[in-house]
Amino acid sequence: MSPQDKGYAHPEAVVSTEWLADHLSDPALRIIESNEDILLYDTGHIPNAIHIDWRRDLQDPIIRDYISPEAFASLCSRHGIEKNTTCIFYGDKSNWWACYALWCFRLFGHTAVKILDGGRDKWIAENRPLTRVTPSFTPCQYPVPARRLDDEIRAFFEDTLAQSRALRPLIDVRSSPEFCGEVTHMPEYPQEGVLRGGHVPGALNIPWKAAVNDDSTFKSAEELRRIYFDEAGVDPSKNTIVYCRIGERSSHTWFVLTYLLGHHKVRNYDGSWTEWGNRVRAPIERER
Amino acid sequence: MQSSYPKKLLGIISLFHELDDAGRRENLIAYADLATRCSPRPGEVFDIEDIRKDEECTDAVGVHLRVDSKGHVILRISLGPKVQTLTRALSAILCKGFDGASPTEILEVPADFVPKIIGSELVRLRSQTVYYVLSRIKTAVKMWSDQQRAEASRVS
Repeated sequence: MSPQDKGYAHPEAVVSTEWLADHLSDPALRIIESNEDILLYDTGHIPNAIHIDWRRDLQDPIIRDYISPEAFASLCSRHGIEKNTTCIFYGDKSNWWACYALWCFRLFGHTAVKILDGGRDKWIAENRPLTRVTPSFTPCQYPVPARRLDDEIRAFFEDTLAQSRALRPLIDVRSSPEFCGEVTHMPEYPQEGVLRGGHVPGALNIPWKAAVNDDSTFKSAEELRRIYFDEAGVDPSKNTIVYCRIGERSSHTWFVLTYLLGHHKVRNYDGSWTEWGNRVRAPIERER
Repeated sequence: MQSSYPKKLLGIISLFHELDDAGRRENLIAYADLATRCSPRPGEVFDIEDIRKDEECTDAVGVHLRVDSKGHVILRISLGPKVQTLTRALSAILCKGFDGASPTEILEVPADFVPKIIGSELVRLRSQTVYYVLSRIKTAVKMWSDQQRAEASRVS
């Protein structure tokens, strides 16, 4: 099913592999790959795709924070991304890091953003072309954003604590064993230095994976509404905070709620469990 | 450069040491491409075969090992399709680097060569699994050593 036929609130925010295959050389687009596997892009990528590394390119090298508006403008300028360039993100792990990179672009006010439905896995499964040729684009002058939209789409520890105390909606998108405190890391991943397990008091547990099909494409709006609104009880009229362990899985859910379901008030708590679970005296719940 | 590395591994470490980041990435990809050649060949028989899917890695990794009559380790590694690129690269590097080494040499090799090969830019929390293959190889060698000791004590 084409993303345009899935009933999304913002169908323009998702493109199909077929569509992208027909627009690989469109100068108004920039295709951006962002992965967890840090060498994956170098092994082969969609023709004309550039690589944005979530850690090297988007995060401050010293402080746990994002780059400055000046650094973001420089990043975009280097890759020939102008203010009105449409950026199409894709990547491994069902687009976790693609959604994370998209969310970061939104932090800097870049609104022309889309996700490739199904990401890298679907592109490869359909035997579409890959290349090891790194494209180069004529550098441009991206205007330095006036500020980062930290207040609009990002939540910090204090915001999340206030949300929890006020019994406002919080969604923990990690796996059930992580939510219950049985483990402090994802299945198949090493421990990343979290001292306590559990979840933020009052949080709902809706694992990110609920939003995707087996081929990594997003479920239809009808299915998503049933999962998030009808079954889990998420109220789209209320300010909601999503979190996971370091903010990438919750970026995926942030994208789903914001673009596919049209929820206007979702913020991503990127400090997530690696901040909360290490914070002295942060309240923790462990029951389901 | 420390001399406690097996000779072939030392050669690889020296090669990577000379490279800039781009060259290092290029060579890691080349090694990752070679990882399938490290799989066991048809008909090969091993003293130890340790195949499992651990939490530290995204897919199953098999370590297949035998020691020839001259005391040299012959090593093969089988990798599931979801194993990440760095882990595949390190598998190929270690298969080549440990080729012909003795079990003792492998057990004593320090892990500090890993960042020397892959570079600090690629060592991240999420990619700490680059140490995983080394620890699996050492575990297999230890299993072989224990097996030899048990056999020797049974004979005596």
